[in-house]
Amino acid sequence: MEEKELIRLAQEGSQQAFSVLVQNHQNRVFNLALSLTRNREAADDLTQEAFIKAYLALPKFRFRAEFGTWLYRIAVNQVKDYLRKMGRRREVSLETVNEQEGHFETDEGNREKEALQERRRRLVHQVLWSLPPKHQVILSLRDIQGYSYEEIAMILKISVGTVDSRLHRARILLRKKLAPFLSQEGGLYEVS
Amino acid sequence: MRCHNAERWLLRDLDGRLSNQAKMKLEVHLQGCRGCTLKKKDYGLILGVLRAEPSSTPPDFWGRLQAKLNDRARATPWAWMRAWSLRAVPLSLLVILTLVVTMLFFFPSRDRDLSQTEALLLRNENPYLETKALFEETHLENKNLMLIFTADEKSPSRSFRP
Repeated sequence: MEEKELIRLAQEGSQQAFSVLVQNHQNRVFNLALSLTRNREAADDLTQEAFIKAYLALPKFRFRAEFGTWLYRIAVNQVKDYLRKMGRRREVSLETVNEQEGHFETDEGNREKEALQERRRRLVHQVLWSLPPKHQVILSLRDIQGYSYEEIAMILKISVGTVDSRLHRARILLRKKLAPFLSQEGGLYEVS
Repeated sequence: MRCHNAERWLLRDLDGRLSNQAKMKLEVHLQGCRGCTLKKKDYGLILGVLRAEPSSTPPDFWGRLQAKLNDRARATPWAWMRAWSLRAVPLSLLVILTLVVTMLFFFPSRDRDLSQTEALLLRNENPYLETKALFEETHLENKNLMLIFTADEKSPSRSFRP
């Protein structure tokens, strides 16, 4: 059955049709929430809340946008609210990161490649969380989830040009915060 | 090319949004700029680390969601009414509009005074009905009074009614 038909049935109150819509989109919404929270439990709760909001708002859905885009917009707003409530905007000082990662320098020779990759991921995500929510969201949508510029523009209701410039600023900010760990020849995080 | 522009271009290049011509210009710049080459390497590393491996939702996602939806529905029994209220507003307006139009078209307007010709043609009234009493009046004084009152037809207050 086509998505439009499923939406119409769900608008009339069919939970069965809505369950198919949920099945089609739950993983993408979950991954989006997970990339921003890095917490499976919180991501699960946010995904559920996003679907509940979507279900309640479904009678107002007028097919002006793709259902997926509309749904991801709800999910993004949900996650943004969560990040604000959790005070995610806390600054991660580079000293803290250095302390956390300090032991890594001496042991690096003995670590396996996967462990190194995991540490890199943790570090990059930690710095990512310290960015303002709008930068976190755009980096998550593009660089973690891999949405196209056009999809991001529709989800965030901004122009493609704004996506380009906001993404550019967010990436520069992220790189600047990570600068002490990057581009050091023979350094800790050099790609070998 | 300035390094500031080169950074913008190399980020676009990583997204596959740079034209071939711009790509060549960027390559030329990168060959002569160690700083931008390192930036390119940094961005490659950062974006590579960020790229997530897709994950799946915890088990029984729909079951748990359905339970929450049912709880909400029980908690707000009038939710369906709210959902339909938005549709009900334009529908009610349409019904009212239809009623008004119907009344305007099908209900006759208030009777207005018809001329004698209109009365003759539209109501098939006998034009001599009003004058019958006048002709039959034998008393001269009354007859004259009747003639006086019927002379001015434009003034309904003065018109004679037998």
